[in-house]
Amino acid sequence: MDEFTHIPQLTLHLFGFNLVFNTETIMMTWVVMGILIVFGFLATRKISFIPNPFQVVGELFVTAFYDLTSDALDEEMAKKYFPIICSLFMFLLLCNYLGIIPKLSEPTKDLNTPLSLGILGFVIAHYSGIKAKGFKKYAKEYFEPIFFMAPLNIIGELAKVVSISFRLYGNVIGGSIIILVVSHLIYSVALPPFMVVFFGIFVGGIQAFVFTMLTLVYISLQVK
Amino acid sequence: MLNSIAYITASSYLAAGLTIGLGAIGAALGEGYAAGLANESISYKPKMSGELLKNMLVGQAIAESAAIFALVVAILLLFAQPSSGSPIVAWSAIGAGLAMGLAAIGSGIGAGSPAGKACLAIVHQPSEKSRIMTTMLVGSAVCQTPAIFGMVISFLLMFMDFSSAPLYPAGAALLGAGLATGLAAIGSGLGSGLPAGAACLGIARQPKSGDKTMTTMLVGSAVCQTPAIFGIVISFLLIFMDFSSVPPYPGWAALLGAGLATGLAAIGSGVGNGFTAMEAVSGTARNPECNSETNRVMLIGMSVGQSTAIYGFLVSLLLVFTKMEPSTSLTSCLRLLGAGISSGFGGIGPGIGLGIVAASAVRWVARRPSSTVALIRTMLVGMAVTESTAIYALIVALLLLFVL
Repeated sequence: MDEFTHIPQLTLHLFGFNLVFNTETIMMTWVVMGILIVFGFLATRKISFIPNPFQVVGELFVTAFYDLTSDALDEEMAKKYFPIICSLFMFLLLCNYLGIIPKLSEPTKDLNTPLSLGILGFVIAHYSGIKAKGFKKYAKEYFEPIFFMAPLNIIGELAKVVSISFRLYGNVIGGSIIILVVSHLIYSVALPPFMVVFFGIFVGGIQAFVFTMLTLVYISLQVK
Repeated sequence: MLNSIAYITASSYLAAGLTIGLGAIGAALGEGYAAGLANESISYKPKMSGELLKNMLVGQAIAESAAIFALVVAILLLFAQPSSGSPIVAWSAIGAGLAMGLAAIGSGIGAGSPAGKACLAIVHQPSEKSRIMTTMLVGSAVCQTPAIFGMVISFLLMFMDFSSAPLYPAGAALLGAGLATGLAAIGSGLGSGLPAGAACLGIARQPKSGDKTMTTMLVGSAVCQTPAIFGIVISFLLIFMDFSSVPPYPGWAALLGAGLATGLAAIGSGVGNGFTAMEAVSGTARNPECNSETNRVMLIGMSVGQSTAIYGFLVSLLLVFTKMEPSTSLTSCLRLLGAGISSGFGGIGPGIGLGIVAASAVRWVARRPSSTVALIRTMLVGMAVTESTAIYALIVALLLLFVL
């Protein structure tokens, strides 16, 4: 269990402040970013009518998420928000799949990753809400249905950040704890590949999709 | 007097019994429901019995996975005896058992719904067989999330080293950590099965809008699990907190109360959210054009429906973080425990009620999109009134915490 309570950290002392870096998470996030950048380069290098394999995969992502975005928002706003939604999904999917490769670990296993992405979604949703409706109308919604519900409405909004990030974190860390314990019990003989497929590929894919959709839906709740 | 090793062994046995005893409830109910609906579907089209039997068995196998998690935890409790002799281990074992056992109830019952409804759906629309089966698999896998949360907490409680923590208040805190996730997972597990079942039927009714139905189901099921997430957050707080900063008395009561407040309050919201999401999924299948409208009303309804779980969560946070005067009197202990129990039990009924209000609003938005504004207004006012009993419980909890 020590593996889960101990996170490799690097502490820097700068101007009297302690800067703490979770080294493993940062490295793994760089790996994911590197893979995505290389993939983006390969997919768009020679765009042709008869696509190369990378372009096919890229087009699959783009068409699927463009449809979802324009369903939730309208056509005009979909163009604006689609890039973040699609890249959020690709980033999370790769993050959740990274743990399948031995020696690598999911960046989403560190609560800081889902939490910061959750805060990112929260800020985008509220910023676009204020921009679309104006501050007065935006603030008025907190006083519905009755004025004294305001503190509870605000707590409810903040609870969305907690729930969206802990949902991803709990599922990813749950999968890896279960795989670790079961592999330990049966001396890594037979079950782990099956469990990696279930928790890594299946649950990881579903949770990446759910996180992305919820971010999208929270944006659409604010702008409409 | 028992010596400490015997005390730990005894409580591990008790915990193993609790784990699988409670864990068996849900899966049995869910599988029975699935088998019942499979029989019903076979009586519509006896020729398809082979097909339906296969689908029923696959669905039941997934519904059983929560009980299998419970079995794994029970066997670990029986045979993987801890080496340290600190009496705190006895409490963490019981917490681990309760977390897994209770969490398996909801997921077991919930996963029965897609398994059974998929059989009905296949009878109505045999050509969409493989798609319905995929929906069932995805839906029942999402249902298992609360059970996985319970398993995470029970593994943490079993394998982390608490032996240096003081028996008071850490023992009660670990018991509370188990109860928070275990109880909270009941409602969410049950609730997130309902949209999955509705999605299977919805795809049979309107195969063309399958993608929209599936997306609505995933979002709905995921939001149903928010109450369970509040439970797991409180469990993490209780497991990783610094026990030396809390006075042993009345600290133990506050921490146990914190676990109960979120755990109990989350049951209602989880089930209620499930009703709302179920109506949204069947509404989407019925009228795919106004999917975004239905989704929007569903999410508003669900987030208001979660307010009772949020009250419980708030009381738990107050119980964990409020500075307390050390006092050994029974009054000061039970005052804090009472605050947790009050907001916990007070949240169950309103949580389900709010879900029903939101469900009917979503149902009629899907059927009559032109009157959406009036429906949302009525829904919000209706919910505010329904919620009042939860607010009474919250007021009593706050009185117990701060005034008395």
